[in-house]
Amino acid sequence: MKGLFRGLGVTLKAMASPKVTTSYPDVPFEMPDRFRGIQHFIPELCIVCNQCARICPTDCITLTGKPNPDPEKRGKVIDTFDINFEICILCDLCTEVCPTEAIVMTNHFELSAFSRDDLFKDAQWLTDNNTLVRKDNNNIGAPAKGGAK
Amino acid sequence: MSEEEKKAQQESGPADAEKDEKQKAAETTPIAEAGQTAAQQSVEAADPEKAAKLKAAAEARAARAAAKAAAETAEAAEASAPPPPSPKQPELDAVTALIRREVADEALEDAYINELNGHMPTLIVKNEYWRSIAELLKIENDFTYLRNVSGVDYETHLEVVYHLVSLRSGRELAVKIKADREKPEVSSATPVWATANWNEREIYDLLGIVFPGHPDLRRIMMPDDWAGHPLRKDYEPLDSEV
Amino acid sequence: MIRTEELLLNVGPQHPSTHGVFRIVVKLDGEVITEATPVMGYLHRGTEKLAEQLNYTQIIPYTDRMDYVSAMTNNYVLVHAVETMMGLEVPERAEFLRLIVMELQRVASHLVWWGTYLLDIGAMSPFLYAFRDRETIINLFNELCGARLTYNYMRVGGVKWDAPPGWIDKVSEFIPYMEGKLREYDKLVSGNEIFLARIKGIGKYDAETAIDYGLSGANLRCTGVDWDLRKAEPYSLYSRFEFDVPLGQNGDCYDRYRIRLEEIRQSLRILKQAIVQFPSSGETMGKVPRAIRPPAGEVYTRIESPRGEIGCHIVSKGKAEPYRLKFRRPSFVNLQILPKLLIGETMTNLITILGGVDIVVGEVDC
Repeated sequence: MKGLFRGLGVTLKAMASPKVTTSYPDVPFEMPDRFRGIQHFIPELCIVCNQCARICPTDCITLTGKPNPDPEKRGKVIDTFDINFEICILCDLCTEVCPTEAIVMTNHFELSAFSRDDLFKDAQWLTDNNTLVRKDNNNIGAPAKGGAK
Repeated sequence: MSEEEKKAQQESGPADAEKDEKQKAAETTPIAEAGQTAAQQSVEAADPEKAAKLKAAAEARAARAAAKAAAETAEAAEASAPPPPSPKQPELDAVTALIRREVADEALEDAYINELNGHMPTLIVKNEYWRSIAELLKIENDFTYLRNVSGVDYETHLEVVYHLVSLRSGRELAVKIKADREKPEVSSATPVWATANWNEREIYDLLGIVFPGHPDLRRIMMPDDWAGHPLRKDYEPLDSEV
Repeated sequence: MIRTEELLLNVGPQHPSTHGVFRIVVKLDGEVITEATPVMGYLHRGTEKLAEQLNYTQIIPYTDRMDYVSAMTNNYVLVHAVETMMGLEVPERAEFLRLIVMELQRVASHLVWWGTYLLDIGAMSPFLYAFRDRETIINLFNELCGARLTYNYMRVGGVKWDAPPGWIDKVSEFIPYMEGKLREYDKLVSGNEIFLARIKGIGKYDAETAIDYGLSGANLRCTGVDWDLRKAEPYSLYSRFEFDVPLGQNGDCYDRYRIRLEEIRQSLRILKQAIVQFPSSGETMGKVPRAIRPPAGEVYTRIESPRGEIGCHIVSKGKAEPYRLKFRRPSFVNLQILPKLLIGETMTNLITILGGVDIVVGEVDC
């Protein structure tokens, strides 16, 4: 019987200690800066190098480019950029290899939708998703910003 | 055009470089922008300024390749001296001598040291003798702990690898048995080490190797009525969406 | 005429206590089990087949999801195998970060085991306490690498992120907090007479059976066999630290319980020493070639995960993708002893024994 009473003492003491639960979703959950949430896309910086689509382990990025409309400049600009969030595992490899940091992660994680079609996000939605953008990217592909190792 | 060939080589070379993008961007921006198709490449190369730049880049590449080739021949001359004997060689010799003595002389097909893997002694044995060799290793040589059984599908044949370890002395051993593709059979090691039970069932399920002597050989991961062996290199799923 | 018949009962695949989608078909005679057959494969995702088309960095997120409760050790086993094949040197700071993270992961995984085991047996409070403390660890990992469960943290040649400023201090604050909590858990559970009556003497086996069945981790050490890969075949920097390996004597569920709690204490001890020896500066990534192409050959490396010996067998043909990648999963191998242990037990003891083996079905099926 003694063991039971000692255990009871522990639980009674825990009743008096402060609460550890949070009341999400009434109170938003603050994620640290490095959190890997839904991506944010900046079309002006993208050079259509295709590294993100190549490194994606689940092949969820599809992108097409078109030649730069400005005849002075070389290179391509991005035409369509889709991420299929049914299979994106938010692993962060695409932001790691992007040489211009055109795709970065935010701290959002709420993606629930009522229909599977809503999970196929296009370039416009990803560009508009620009709040809570992650600052510390540790980007290996863009050494000019001091990320190369 | 040799320039085109060299460009194509460079593109398809390290196809999955995720580091060092800077090198690619810095020195080969014309190539990156030349796009993925040969048609676009020829169009851009028609521009005389660009052609001159590409030529310079090709020459630099050729110079680097020549330097690399020179270094390689120097290395090859060094490497032709025989490597020092491995520290685990006496263990391997003891095991091979034991097998030759107790089981049969031709039971062993090959015995070597796997340097990459921390010099693990590796044996390749013939299937007819595997069961007696297994009992010998467990009883005489104290390899009581079977760590891992893996099946590998080389396209010409199938192979089963058993990794053994002796808990008391820390010695390790890897044993490989080959099986041919048409009718793959490897004597089961389950009567010797019970660990092999489910491992062999998994290999049967995914690769199709039959283990005569196994008490209960049936599919373990896939549903019981699945057709085919998924881990084989030539596996075509009946339903491609699955 | 009343007669009794044998009953065929399905425990699972949807069951709160089978630790995942896992099914056991039991033949019952009254309440005593006469035969038990585990059926698995409900969570088979084909990781090994997928890995043949992905390069090594792309496989790392897949390894996270095998043993999802202890993802850092899974990351490490793959990365360690590739580094062994290529002969790469990992910088010291990166190796320290890896070790700290792996030991924290061991504590977190044992907390999950403890909470869910006691929940299965019937005690509701330890579950919440365990998860409260695990939240602290998960938040530490969140600050470090941006994810709470599937970290994708290690890379071939080092780690992805360096510790943010103040992170190491938070880890060193966590250690005395957790030690205090362990004493509290002992007071809460380990003296409880009901608990002891349910656990002592259940699921016994001896050392010979354990070695024959290839058990590893606490399942092997509860019989008295001193085999911990961190001491027997040291990898990473474990040879620099002093820690004990708890051993049991009887080979029953109570010994496994005690060993795992003691392992948490020993992990905290390693963490204390690691934080003292942590280099104040250094690279987090070694010299890795542009494309990761291990030389042709094969390698089998193994580490001690919280569940036992996890191993990675890679056959490479010199390309960027592995030719064959096989994981030796501890839960898969440890589970083989279950049919043998369950004969003659009652249904309630089935749950106790299954919990004591500590499986994660993501690992059983791979």
